[in-house]
This record gives sequence, structure tokens and C-alpha cells, in this order.
Amino acid sequence: MHRIVVDAMGGDHAPDEIVQGAAEASLALNQAEIILVGDAAVLGRILPKLRHDGARVRVHHAPTYVEMDEKPAEALAAKPECSIAIAADLVARGEGDAMVSAGNTGASVLACARRWTLLEGVRRAALAAVYPTELRRGEKDDPFSLILDVGATVDVTAEDLVGFAVMGSAYAKLVSSNRRPRVALLSNGTEAGKGPKEIVAAHAALVETTELNFIGNIEGLDIPRGVADVVVTSGFVGNVVLKMLEGVSDTVVRLARYAHKERLAWRLGLIALSSAIDQLKSVTDWQQYGGAPLLGFTHPFIKAHGRSNARAVTNAIKVAHKALAGNLCGNIARTMAELDDRAGKRSRAPSASDATSG
Amino acid sequence: MGRRQSLLKRLTGLPIELGERIGLLDHVPAGLPEGAKPPKHTFRWDLDKTYLRTEFDSLADLAKSAIETAADKQAYPGATALLRALKQEDHRICIVSGSPTQMRQVLAAKLALDGVAYDEFVLKNNLKNILKGRFRALRAQVPYKLPAMMRSRIGAAAASETLFGDDAEADAIIYCLYADLLAERVSLADLERVLIATRAYEDDSERILDLARRVPKGDAVNRIFIHLDRRSPPLGFSRFGPRLVPVYNYFQAAMVLYEDRVLSARQVIYVALEMLDSGQYELGHLATSVQDIIRRGRVTRETALQLVAEANDAAISGVLSGRDDLPPFEQIAEAFRARVRELGTMTPPPPEPIEPLDYVRLVDEEHENRRDRRKKGMA
Repeated sequence: MHRIVVDAMGGDHAPDEIVQGAAEASLALNQAEIILVGDAAVLGRILPKLRHDGARVRVHHAPTYVEMDEKPAEALAAKPECSIAIAADLVARGEGDAMVSAGNTGASVLACARRWTLLEGVRRAALAAVYPTELRRGEKDDPFSLILDVGATVDVTAEDLVGFAVMGSAYAKLVSSNRRPRVALLSNGTEAGKGPKEIVAAHAALVETTELNFIGNIEGLDIPRGVADVVVTSGFVGNVVLKMLEGVSDTVVRLARYAHKERLAWRLGLIALSSAIDQLKSVTDWQQYGGAPLLGFTHPFIKAHGRSNARAVTNAIKVAHKALAGNLCGNIARTMAELDDRAGKRSRAPSASDATSG
Repeated sequence: MGRRQSLLKRLTGLPIELGERIGLLDHVPAGLPEGAKPPKHTFRWDLDKTYLRTEFDSLADLAKSAIETAADKQAYPGATALLRALKQEDHRICIVSGSPTQMRQVLAAKLALDGVAYDEFVLKNNLKNILKGRFRALRAQVPYKLPAMMRSRIGAAAASETLFGDDAEADAIIYCLYADLLAERVSLADLERVLIATRAYEDDSERILDLARRVPKGDAVNRIFIHLDRRSPPLGFSRFGPRLVPVYNYFQAAMVLYEDRVLSARQVIYVALEMLDSGQYELGHLATSVQDIIRRGRVTRETALQLVAEANDAAISGVLSGRDDLPPFEQIAEAFRARVRELGTMTPPPPEPIEPLDYVRLVDEEHENRRDRRKKGMA
């Protein structure tokens, strides 16, 4: 049985939508127990209104919670018994196997970083995000590509980027049912020598790996096209890219609204396209994806969107369950160990110059 | 002489038995033998979706259920252990099921396979309804179950009754109506209005009203369990008052019966063990079930902790001997205590004020729900 800890108080629509999502997940997942962390009295009032399995949803009381707009470090210091801290604690103590939250991203990542341990061979954790693309991938024709890191590790080394590539690939394999996800480094050119020194070094290391389907460097414009299934970058760049992509999407929607109001011909054009737009919306509906993972720790953490409704929360819990059932963390650790092993052998092996100089 | 009489009785009984088996005659429960002491407690059980895991959401499910053998039929985890625990000397087990009389043999065989003893077993005579052209009666619940229960009580009236049903049909309404009739909270005039709402046939209504006049009265029904087979929201049953407890599984029912002093800690353990042995539940599920029923205010924390303490004594006395598959009992007990502690200082919401039930409205709502379910293809 997999125990999935859910921060019931985090998110714009918490706790009602979060509890409803968990309730639905309890009916869909036979092999899971869902632990809702939050105000027990509040959760105890919501649960009986919903269809759920009472033997598979439990409540763990947390007297406070972090608001969406609070500063993470300050909030965690001021509220040591907040729901996200207690949820992360439960997992750290072995009372839960994975965590899901739609709450304050910074506080969630910090709570995990302070309590959980990194997988052996992983130097830094990475927060991933999904982005809808033109090309589909995997057995399920998944329209989402994975970008990591989007903010957990601002300054990265080449080794960190290699680790992110391994983690992103393992996640895409499992969640998108993509046997050999295409992994790429985000740079300012496709050539191997382009980009800052850590990108160049990471490229050199990744080219050597046989475990990954590394396709080289890609540029920003390749992200929405879907050239790569896993886009690897530093937390700083990833965050800037993600915000920009979100900004572009919002602007397109605003422009469409403007066009709808402004001219009858444009409105008619939009109406004619409405079914195609609806289809596009359903294909790229982030709620079906559930959330994005924080990778690198010994337990999976799925960060659901702050605006998550019940359906998105159910899907985030399902993703967490899939990560546990597919032994995501074990797979990452194994690949990291293989890479380390090979790197160790390479450094121990006498090079040609050593041999000749002897 | 006595032997000859008994043979004669058996011979004259044969056509009746045959008639009942093929559905031409109604099976009338024998009731208590003359001079026998009335039972202390009667437990009335529905069968499908309450004791037996039955699917009849589609025609295919119905057909499958009809051709299943006794060995194919599955009881819900814990239900068999609970029924066995309830069958005591001065207790009476009465089964009233909506399954057709033609299934008596296979259902009786299933109960025998499970080692469940019962005193009465009433099934619905749908063949008679078809032959008489009473097609409304095929689906009717209130005009079938209510008189069946009253007839059974006229035969053997207990001081206390506990009823077990499910959330798939109108069990909550029928059981509460039965309880309120016995307690004289529902008058004959009210009952007549309810029977009109259920669209009961006129002669059936007259028979039911007659039974209602004759049934021994008293506030006998002290507990109604509704097995949440469809996982209906428990709050939907709050209007029926604290007497009715919706349960997700039979461990929860056993907990409530322990609080009601009907079951001992040892008997609750047997229910739990059967659930664990089914492979469908782990210890964690049972602990979470305890937390759920406390959170809903159906069992107190004190009861749960007392049960853990008494179960510990039972474990020491050897109730778990030979169960090497389980962790030491102290570890189990601590897991249960921890689950109670997880609730912090929360107190369950106070029960909503009880208002007299408007059975006519409830029946109308139930009909509407059933129509909706049928439209959605859920039978």
C-alpha cells in the first residue's frame, strides 16, 4: 500500500477542492492510502459530504498553514506546525511515501529540502514543470514536455545538470510512458560549444552516456515545438523561461478576447475556430497532468498548480501513486550509480598519455 | 404415534416446500415454537450489497448473479465473522433479501458454506408478481420488505433489534419507517400515505396496514447500519438521526456494536482478522476506519482506546496465537492509538437536530434517484 500525504490546506481552492480531489483519488486507487494534513475539524466537516473510501482517507491534524503569498522561509519559521511542514515530516519519518501539495511552491520545496534526504549520487534537487508542445510523445501521445529545473537550484554545475537530465528522463519514462525520452540542454545555440561553461561541460558528459537519449542542445524556440521531451536547464533560467511561456500564453488569450470584442469579422473567425480551440484546450489542459515533480529526494513530491481544482488534485495524487508504483526514486538512484560507476572507472583507467609517459 | 405424525407433517409439507421453491407460494417464516422464550435481540440482514458483494447495475450483472454458484458468491470481508458473532443463544438472525425465491437454494448453500446460521430467510416472490401481472411490485422495495419484517416480528418479537442494509436501494427509508412504526412515531394514516407514494397495490396496502396494527410495538430498533457499498456520502444519511450509522466496512459496524455492548473486544478482533485474511484490507485500513468513525462522531475516542486495551487483554489470552503474519499486538495497538492521536483535539461536529422524517418525501426522492440511475444505466 502506498501512502500519499496531501497538504489539504495549500492552494487557492483549499481545502474544499483538495479534499474532493483526495476523496475521488481514494475511489480510483485501490492500493493507496491518502493522508490529508490540515485542520482536522475543517477536514472532518468536508469529508462526509463527499463520496470516498473511509478506510483509505485519513486525517492528520495541523493547526496552521502557509498562505499562498507568504515568504517561504519566514512562514516556515513562524509556523512550525503548518500543514506543509507536518506533511513533509510525516514522509521524512516514514509515515508517508510521497507528498502532494497545491500550496505555496517555495514553502513546499523548502519544507522538503529541510527534512528529506537526497538520493545517493544526486547533488541537488530539481523542480520540474510541464509545458504543452506541438509534438506529442510516448505511448499516450502526451502533449507535455518536461522542463527542469524551474527554481529549486539557482546556481548549477555541470554535474547538477547531468543529474537533472537523469531525473527528468526517469520521470518522463514513467509518467508519459515514453521508453526513450529525448533529453536536451537549453542553450543559446545547438552547437556543442555554445553556452556557459557548465552547459558545455554538461554536454560533454551527457554525450558519453548511453542510459539517456541525449539529443544535444536546443534553443528557446524549440521548447514549444516539442523538439525535446525533457529540457534541462538551471533553476534561474528555467524559472525565467517558464514565466515567459506563461506570459505569452496569457497575452495570446488576452489578444483573442480583444479581437472577440473589437470586430465582428474577428469574432466570427474565432467562433469558426472555437471547436479547434476547445480541442487544443483539452489536449493542453494542465489539470489532467495534475502537477510537476520535485525530483532528487528519496521520496516523490508532486507540486500541483496553485489554482488546482479537484480533478487536478486527483491527477496529482495519481501521478504520485504512479511514481511510487514505478519506483521512480529507485530508478533515478540506480542510473546515478551507474553513471558514477562509469565516471569512476574512467578516472581510474590509465589514459593513453599516462601509458606512454610511463 | 409421534413418528407417524412427524412423517405426516413432512409429507403434507412437501408440496408447500416445492411451491415455495418454484415461487408459486410465499415462504412464511415459522416464527418461534410454542412456549419458546422470545429472543433478546433480533438482527435483520439484507443480503445483496450488504452481506454479499453483488453487482446488479446492468442486465449482464443480473444474469451473472443468477447463474453464479454458491462458491462463486463473495461475502464482504468481515460480514461472515460479524454474523457468526451475532448468532448467540438468545439472538435471532433474520435475513430479508430482494433476491427472487428461485435463488433460495444457492443462497442458502452460500450461507451454509460460510457457516452462517440463521433463523429466518425471506426472499422475494417475483414469479408470483409476474404471473399476477404486478410488474410494479418487481422493483418495489417498501411494499415488500416492510411487511416481511413486520410478519417476522409478529412471529418472534425481540426487545431489541439491529438492522443491516446498504446504500444501493431504499434500505435506510424502509428500516427507519419500520423502527418508527414500532415506536408509534408513525401513525397508520401516515403509513397509508407512504404506501400510496410507493405505488403499492391496494390489496398489498391493506395487508401491510393490517400487519402494522398487529405488530408488537415498542422502541425496539436501536441501531441501523447502512453499508456504503456505493460509497455514498455519509452526510446524506444524517437526516435519519444518530440511530442510523453509515459504515464503510464491517470493522466499523463491529466497533459501534462494541460501544453498544453487543459485541466483546474478542469478537471485534475476529471481524478484523477476517478482513485482514480477505487480502482486501491491511492493518492501516482498519486503523483509518477507526479514525473515520470517530471523526464522524459515531464512536468516541474513549471507546476506541478502551477497545484497544481490551483487545490487548484478549491478545494476551491467546486470541492471536498462531498469527505469525501479524506484528506483535503492542505494535498494532500503538498504530491504532496513533491514528486517534492524529486527530489532535478535534471534536466531531454535534449531530444535527432531529426532525420527524417525512417518509412520503423520502420515497418520492428515492424514486427520482432510481429513475436517474436507470437513465445513467446504473439500474
